[in-house]
Amino acid sequence: MRDGKHDDKGTPGDSLLQVLDPDCFFHILYPVVNSVMKKNTKIPVLLVAVMIVFCWMTTSRAAENSLEKIKKRGVLLWGADAEGGAPYVFPDPGDPSRLIGFEVDLADAIAKDLGVAARQSQNAWDSLVPALERGDFDMAMNGIEITPQRKERVLFSRPYYIYTEQLVVKSDESRIKDMKDLTGKKVGTLSGTAAQAMLEKMGGVDTRIYSGQVEPYEDLEIGRIDAVLLDLPIAAYYAKPNPKLKYAGGSEGEGFYGIAIRKDNEDLRAKVDEILSRLLKTGELKRIYEKWGLWDKTQEKLLGNTGGGGYVGLEESRKAPLYTFLPTLLKGAAATVVISAMSMALAVSLGLAIALLRIFASAPLRTLAVSYIELYRGTPLLIQLFILYYGLPNIGVSLNPLTAAVLGLGMNYAAYEAEIYRAGIDAVPKGQMEAALSLGMSRGLALRRVILPQGFRIALPAITNDFIALFKDSSLVSVIAMVELAKTYSMLAVSTLRFFELGLVVALLYFAMSYPLSLLARRLEAKLKGAGR
Amino acid sequence: MITVRDLHKMYGDQALFRGINLSIRKGEVVVCIGPSGSGKSTFLRCINGLEFFEKGEIDIDDIALHSINRIRPSKEDMETLRKIRLKVGMVFQQFNLFPHMTVLENIAEAPVKVLGMAKSGADELARSLLKRINLAGKVNNYPAELSGGEQQRVAIARALAMRPEAMLFDEPTSSLDPEMVGEVLSVIKDLVNEGLTTIIATHEMDFARDVAGRVVVFDQGEIVEIGSPDDIFTNPSADRTKLFLSRVLKR
Ligand SMILES: Nc1ncnc2c1ncn2[C@@H]1O[C@H](COP(=O)(O)OP(=O)(O)O)[C@@H](O)[C@H]1O
Ligand SMILES: [Mg+2]
Repeated sequence: MRDGKHDDKGTPGDSLLQVLDPDCFFHILYPVVNSVMKKNTKIPVLLVAVMIVFCWMTTSRAAENSLEKIKKRGVLLWGADAEGGAPYVFPDPGDPSRLIGFEVDLADAIAKDLGVAARQSQNAWDSLVPALERGDFDMAMNGIEITPQRKERVLFSRPYYIYTEQLVVKSDESRIKDMKDLTGKKVGTLSGTAAQAMLEKMGGVDTRIYSGQVEPYEDLEIGRIDAVLLDLPIAAYYAKPNPKLKYAGGSEGEGFYGIAIRKDNEDLRAKVDEILSRLLKTGELKRIYEKWGLWDKTQEKLLGNTGGGGYVGLEESRKAPLYTFLPTLLKGAAATVVISAMSMALAVSLGLAIALLRIFASAPLRTLAVSYIELYRGTPLLIQLFILYYGLPNIGVSLNPLTAAVLGLGMNYAAYEAEIYRAGIDAVPKGQMEAALSLGMSRGLALRRVILPQGFRIALPAITNDFIALFKDSSLVSVIAMVELAKTYSMLAVSTLRFFELGLVVALLYFAMSYPLSLLARRLEAKLKGAGR
Repeated sequence: MITVRDLHKMYGDQALFRGINLSIRKGEVVVCIGPSGSGKSTFLRCINGLEFFEKGEIDIDDIALHSINRIRPSKEDMETLRKIRLKVGMVFQQFNLFPHMTVLENIAEAPVKVLGMAKSGADELARSLLKRINLAGKVNNYPAELSGGEQQRVAIARALAMRPEAMLFDEPTSSLDPEMVGEVLSVIKDLVNEGLTTIIATHEMDFARDVAGRVVVFDQGEIVEIGSPDDIFTNPSADRTKLFLSRVLKR
C-alpha cells in the first residue's frame, strides 16, 4: 500500500484502475480486434468466458468490518461523493486529479490517528448509506445529517460539525429578509436534506427540489427561483463569494453531521468517537474548519473555542486554465473506453447466443430467449444497473462497480444485439442454407461459414450504431459508483462551476472517441459491399 | 441407383404427391418436364432431403430415406440426410452461390470443411474444374462480378467438387438470359456424356430431347407418363402430355 498523502487518495478513475491495470485492458482488447480481423470465431467466445471469470475474481473486495481489518489492510476506506462538491470533498482546482475539502482533511486526521492511510471511495451521495451497508467502504462522511431514520440503518459517530441552514437571495432582493418572508415564494433546496424538511414543515412555500447543490444557486442567479435554503457550508462556498447573491437573515435551525458506520462495527464507531474527541481537544478540528472558512460561533458548542477564517477555492478554480483538468478527464475517458469495450464484447457474444437460441432452439429455450429480449428491452437500463449493484447485495451477491457496469450494459445491449442478429440472419436468402446443406454441410457448419458471415454483414451498420449508443450510454454507469468520463465531468463541473467549458471539452472527448468508430464502420461496410452481392 | 417408392407429400393440408414411384439406374439421364407447379422441384428436393415427406421411401444405393420428423429430426436421420447429400449433388435455379466467398472459395469450401481435403488439394481441384468450364480467369472474383451463366457454371463446378455419384438439376437455366442458356446446357451435356447419373427438371424441350434417356412428365403432383424422348415428343400417349407439349412447343 502507498502512504496516506492526499495524492494517493481515490481520484476520479482510480476506483477503476484499482481493479484494472491499463495494460490488462490492451491484453483483453488485442485478441478481440485481432480475431475479428482474422474472422476467427472461437477466440471471442473464449474471451468472454475469461472475461466473466475475471470479473468474478474482482468482485470480492471491500466488506471488511472491523478495526482489525482496517489496520491489517493499512487503508481506511471512506465513502463520499466528490460530485457533491465543495467544501466537503471535491477535485483540487490546482490539480484536479486529487481531492480536497474539509472532510478529506478530517478523514486524513482520523486515518493518521489509526495509523493507516485514508482512501476516498467515490459513491453517489443518495446511495452512500446502502453502499456502506453493502460493505463498499468502512465509513461514510459527506455532510450526512444525523436523523432518526438514518439511525435505524447505521451507527453515527459523535457530531463532527454543527450545520445551520442559510437562506440566500439575489443581492437586489428586498422582499425576502428572512425565513418568514418565504410564503408563496419559490425556494430551491437539495433533495433529502434537513433544509428540505424545514421548508416542507413551514408550509406555503413553493419548494423546488434539486439533486445538486450548484444548480439551485444558478437558478437563483438567473431568477428562476426566489431563494435558496441550504446548509451553511454550501452557502459559504458557493453563494457568499458570488456578488450577485447575498445571505438573507442569520442561519437557522441546527443539526449535526455525523460519520456513518455499519451497524455491526461498534468497535470502529467507538474508536472514531475517541479520535474525534481528541481532534476537538487538541484544536486540530478547529484548525481544519478555519482553513475552510467553516468556523463559526455555532461550532463553539462542539467544543468551546472561537475564531474566524478565510475562504479558499472557488475563485482559484474558476481561473485555472482548462488544461489542468485534462489529465483527470483523460483518465475518465480511458475508463469509459474500457467499460464500453468490455460491455460490447459481452453484448456481442451473449446477443449472438440469444439470437441463435431464438431462431434455432427448441420451444422452451426459444421462449427463454424471447423473454430475455423482451424483459431487457422493456425495462430501463438505469433500473437494471441499480438492481445489479444495489439490489443483488440484498440476496447476498455483491459485485464491484466495474463488474456491475459491464454486466449491466452488456446484458442490456445483448438484447438489442440479439434482435439485430436475428434480423440479419433472417435476411439471408433461404437458398443459401439449402445450397450449403446440399453440399453435405451440417447445419452448424452451414450456419458458421455461410449464414452468419452474411447475416453479420447485413447487420453491421446496426451493430455499429449500437456500439456508438452503448458508448454514450456508458455514462449511465456513473450511478453505480463507477467513475468514468461523464462522472468525472460532473465532479469537476460542480466544484468549479465551469459547466460550459468543461462540458464542451467532455463532449469533444466523447466525439473524438465515437467518430473514428463510425468512420471505421463505414469503411468496413464499404469494403464488405465491394466484396460481394 | 435411385428408387422412389410410394412417395406422399403434403403442403399444409394440400396433398401434392399421392404415391409416386420411379426407379433410376446408374448412369441414366432422366429429364422431368411438366407445367409449373406440377411438383418437379419438390420431387428433386425430396430426393436430396431438402423437403421432408409424409409417407413412402427413397433408396439411394443402400441408404434408405423414410419420413422424417421435420421439427426434431433424430441424430440418425441427420446422418442419413448427410450421406445422401454426399452422394447426390444439386444445382438450383437461383444458383445460390455464397456471395461472401470468391469463386475459388465457393468451390473449395465443402471439400475442405466436409470431406477434410487439404486446402491446397481443394484449390487445385477447384482450379481444374474451373478450367473445364472455361472460367479459369474468374478464380478470385466474387459471384456478384459474374454473369448469370457464369454463376450457374460455378455452381455446377461447386457441386462436382464433392465428387457426387448423381446430380440433380432444378431448372438450371430458367433464371438466365436466353443468350446464356447454351453455355450452361453444354456443360451439363458434357457431364451427361461422361455417364454421371442425372435428373434434370427443365423447360428446355430441345435439350430434353437431346440428352434424356427417359422423359418423365409431371402434372398436378402425378407422373402422367414415362417414356423415351422420341415416344414422349413425337407420340405421347396421355392427353395431359399432349396438352402440355402443345402449349410449350407453340412458343
Ligand atoms: N413451401 C411450399 N409451401 C406450400 N406449397 C408449396 C411449397 N413449395 C411448393 N408448393 C406447391 O407445390 C406445388 C409444386 O411446386 P413445385 O415442386 O415447385 O413445382 P414445379 O417445380 O414443377 O414448378 C405447387 O402447387 C406449389 O404451389
Ligand atoms: Mg420448380
